[in-house]
Amino acid sequence: MDEFQEILQDFLVESFELIEQLDQDLVELENTPEDLELLNGIFRVAHTIKGASSFLNFDVLTHLTHHMENILNQARHGDIILDANIMDVVLESIDLMKALLYKIRDTSSDDGIDVTACVAKLDKINDGEEIEAPVVKVAPVEKVKVVEPVIVDELDYDNMSDDDVEAEIQRLLTQRQDEDKMKRANKIAAGESVPKPPPEPDEDIVEEKKVEPKSKPATPPPAPAPVPVRSTPQPTPSRAVDIDDEDAKAAAPAKRAPATVEQTIRVDVKRLDHLMNLIGELVLAKNRLIKINVDVEERYEGEEFLEELNQVVSIVSLVTTDLQIAVMKTRMLPIGKVFNKFPRMIRDLTRELNKKMELEIHGEETELDKSIVEEIGDPLVHIIRNSCDHGIEMPDVRIAAKKPESGTVILKAYNEGNHIVIQIDDDGKGLDANMLKRKSVEKGVITEKEADSMTEKEAFALIFKPGFSTAATVTSVSGRGVGMDVVKTNIEKLNGIIDIESEVGVGTSIKLKIPLTLAIIQALLVGVQEEHYAIPLASVLETVRISREEIYTVENRSVMRLRDDVLSLVHIGDIFEVERILDGSEHAYVVVLGLGASKLGLIVDSLVGQEEIVIKSLGDYLTGIEGIAGATIRGDGGVTLIVDVAALMHMAKGVKVTALAERGGGAGSVSKEKTKASDYTVLIVDDSKTDRMIMRKSLEPLGVTLVEAADGQEALNLLKQGDKHFDAMLIDIEMPRMDGYTLASEIKKYNRYKNLPLIAVTSRTGKSDRMRGVESGMVEYITKPYSADYLSSVVQRNVNFKSEFL
Amino acid sequence: MSNDKLKQIISRQAKQSSESLIDHSNDIVQLVGFVIGEEEYAVPILSIQEIIKPISWTRVPQTPKYILGVFNLRGSVIPLIDLRTKFGLRPKKHNEETRFFVLKEGDDVAGFVIDRLTMALRISKKNIGPAPDTMAGDESVIDGVGKQADRILTILKVNKLLERDF
Repeated sequence: MDEFQEILQDFLVESFELIEQLDQDLVELENTPEDLELLNGIFRVAHTIKGASSFLNFDVLTHLTHHMENILNQARHGDIILDANIMDVVLESIDLMKALLYKIRDTSSDDGIDVTACVAKLDKINDGEEIEAPVVKVAPVEKVKVVEPVIVDELDYDNMSDDDVEAEIQRLLTQRQDEDKMKRANKIAAGESVPKPPPEPDEDIVEEKKVEPKSKPATPPPAPAPVPVRSTPQPTPSRAVDIDDEDAKAAAPAKRAPATVEQTIRVDVKRLDHLMNLIGELVLAKNRLIKINVDVEERYEGEEFLEELNQVVSIVSLVTTDLQIAVMKTRMLPIGKVFNKFPRMIRDLTRELNKKMELEIHGEETELDKSIVEEIGDPLVHIIRNSCDHGIEMPDVRIAAKKPESGTVILKAYNEGNHIVIQIDDDGKGLDANMLKRKSVEKGVITEKEADSMTEKEAFALIFKPGFSTAATVTSVSGRGVGMDVVKTNIEKLNGIIDIESEVGVGTSIKLKIPLTLAIIQALLVGVQEEHYAIPLASVLETVRISREEIYTVENRSVMRLRDDVLSLVHIGDIFEVERILDGSEHAYVVVLGLGASKLGLIVDSLVGQEEIVIKSLGDYLTGIEGIAGATIRGDGGVTLIVDVAALMHMAKGVKVTALAERGGGAGSVSKEKTKASDYTVLIVDDSKTDRMIMRKSLEPLGVTLVEAADGQEALNLLKQGDKHFDAMLIDIEMPRMDGYTLASEIKKYNRYKNLPLIAVTSRTGKSDRMRGVESGMVEYITKPYSADYLSSVVQRNVNFKSEFL
Repeated sequence: MSNDKLKQIISRQAKQSSESLIDHSNDIVQLVGFVIGEEEYAVPILSIQEIIKPISWTRVPQTPKYILGVFNLRGSVIPLIDLRTKFGLRPKKHNEETRFFVLKEGDDVAGFVIDRLTMALRISKKNIGPAPDTMAGDESVIDGVGKQADRILTILKVNKLLERDF
C-alpha cells in the first residue's frame, strides 16, 4: 500500500471512531451542559481531527474543525452555554465534518464541500459572546497555560485539560529536542563520542553526565535517590529517573494512561476473514472425518483401534467447534456501535417533526458479526424513522388518547439461540390491518381478492412492499415508500427474518431476527434427481411428506393443503432446470419455506439431512446467479449449492403449473419420441461372447440398436457416461468383476434409471435365484435356453415397442 | 513530511520496480500448449495455477451450456468451463487425456476443460505474430499466433478467458 494511503487509512479509522462517540456525547451534553468531562472529551475529538487533518493538508476540514474547536473551547471555559440553538449549529458542523471525512475516504481529498455557511454560523456564535477574533483566541490560552507550569508547582498540570497538557508536552519536546541537538553538536565539536540515537532514558543519562560529570558513565542510575529531583512531590519509581521538570510533566498524562488503554490490538479485517476461511476449511475437514469415522466403524466393527479413533475424532470435532466460536467472537462487535447514532437521530426528528419522543436503548453490549453490524445500520434507520414519523402521534393527539405526552421508542437487542434479535418498539398509534389493505389496493400493490384472503400478519408485512406508503403527505423523513423495502431486502440478505406485531392505539413492535454469523450456517440438504442443494435452516419452517394426490392445481399453479392453509408449491427442479429423467415415486417431500410472512412449499425428491455448512462464494465469474446464494463443500469433497430462499420465492412466481402433476412427460428431451426401430437401444450384458451373439441374433430382426458390455462394471460405466439412452437391459447373472444382481441394485440406486427395465437372462433356475432377481430390481427373468422369439417378445413388451416398426 | 513529498517518493519507487520487471521479460515467452478439437492453443505458463486430472463437479443452474459448473479445488469453489463448447465444438466425453487447466489472473480463478496437454515451450517474441485481422481487437480471446518449426499455436488471452461473458 501507498505510504501516504496508509497514514490516511489510520487517520480515517481513528476519526470515524471518534465521531461515532461524538454524536452521543453531544446529545448527552445538551441535557447536562455543565458536564465538563463530557465537554472536554468532545473538545478533544475536534482537536485531534483538526491536528491530523492539518498534517495531512486537508484544508477545508482543518478550517471547519478549527472553528468548531473555538466554540467548544469557549463552552469549556464557561464563556457560552450550549443551548439547543448553538447545539444545532455544532451538530450541523459535525455532520459536515462527517461528510468531509466520507469524501476523503472516497476521493482522498476534501474539496467540493462548502463549509463557509456553517463556519459563518460558528463565527457568529463565537463573536456574539466574545470580541476577540477566534484565531487569536486559541493562541493566548495556550500560551498562558504554557507559561504557568514552568513557574508554578507541577500539580497544576492535573487541573489542566489533557489537550493543553498535550500542547505543552509538544512544545517542551521540541524545545528539548533542539537543546539536545545543540548539546550533541557541542559534543561532536568537543570530540566526544555521541551515544546512539536516543531512547528517552538514555538521553537523561547523557544530560546527567553533563550535570554530574563524576557519576559512572556506563551504568544508568538504578537507585533514584542520589539523583537531584527538583520538584516531584509524588515520585513513582519509574519516574525517579526523570531528572528534570519536563519529564516529570510528561509523565502526568501517562499516569492516566494505564486506566484507559485496553489490552487490544488492531487487526486488519482481511486477516480475520482469512482466519475465518481457514476455520471453514477445518469445519469441512471435520465433517469429512466424522463421515469417514462412521464408515470405518461399519467396516471394522469391534476392532480395538476404533475406540481410539472415536476419541480422536470427537476431540477434533470439539476443538474445531470451540475454535470456530472463538474466531467468530473475534469478529464480533457490540451492536452499541450502531445504536450510538440513534439518540442523535431521535433528537433531530423531535425537532423536525415537532413531536416529543424519547429513545430507550437496551442491550447495546450484545455482540454481532462485524459484517452484519455494517449491514444492519441502514435498516434500523428506516425502521426508527418510520416509527417516529408514522407511529408516534403528535403531542396533542397523545394527550387526547390519555397517553403520556412524550412518545417512547425502545431499541432492544438480545440473543436468542443462534440468532440475535433486534426489537424496535414504539407506543404510537399502531398498524391498522384494514387500513393497510385498503391503501395497498388503492395503490395497486395487491388486488382486492388478495386483500380479502390476507391475515393480519400478512397485512402488516405490506409496509415492506416497494411503492407502499401510508403517510398522507411526503415529509423529508418518510413517505416515499422506499425505506421499508430497503429494510426487507437488507435483512433478507443477512438471512434474517422480520416479524411485526401491532395493536391499534397501543403500539408496534418490529423484531429483526438475524443469524449471529454469516460464514457458517445450519442447512437442510435436499436431493433432486442426482443433485443436492442446501437450504438455510433459518428459512425452513417444516418438512412434510405428501403423495401426488394431495397436489391440486389452482389458477395454473400447484398448491397443497397444509392444515388450515393453502400452500403454493413449486418443484425445485423447475427452478434450477434439473433434467427430470424420471419421477418414479408416488411420494415427494415438501420443504415449507418461510420468509417473513410469505411461505412457499418446495417439492424435492428426497431429504438428506441437516448439516453445518460453510458458505463459500462462487467467485466473481459466477456471482449473481439467481436463486443461488453460494456453495459449500460437503464431507465427501463435493460441492453443494446453497439456495437463496428470497430469490427462489421470487422465481417461483414465474413458474406456472409445476411439479408432479405432469409426471412422465417431464422426462423431456431424453426420452425422445421414437420414430424408427433403431431409436430403441438395448444393452446386452454378458461375459460370454457366444451368449452375446445369440442375444444379438435374436434381437437383430427387430431393428433395434444393440450395445454390448462384457461385465457388470463395464455396463455400469456405460450407463454413467450417459452417452446413450437405454430402453432396456439384458443382464446375465454370473459375470466376473460385478455380477448381475449387484449391477441391478447399483443401477436402481440412480433415480433416473428407476424405470429402466432390467431383464435377467440366466441359466440359474432356482426359486431363490428368481427371488434375488426381483429383490435387486429385475422385472423379467428369462432362463437359458430360450427361443429367439420369446426373447424378442419380452424385449418388445418392456420397451413398449411400437407395432408399426415391425 | 508533506504528503506531496511522500507521494513523489512513492511514485518514484513504483516506477523503478515496474521498470525492472520489464527488463526480465523481453525476449522469450514461456507457454504451455494444449489441444482442443483439432487445434493447438497456448497460454502463458505464469497464468497457470495448476493442471489436474478431471474430478467431479457440480452443475450450476441458470448458466450457459459451456459452464459445466463448479468444482472443489482443495477447499476453494472454482467454476469449470468447457472450452470445446465455448469454442463451438461438440462436447466430448472426458477421457484419459482430458485435463482441467486452472488459470489465474489476479483474484480470478477458473478451471478449463481441455482435450489434451501438449508441452511447455519457450518461444521467442519475434516468432509471435498478431492475431489475424478478422479476429483481433479487444473483444477477441486471441492474443497472437505463435510460430514454431512445424506448427502454429493460437495464444489465448487469459484475462479474456476469465472474463464473465453472459
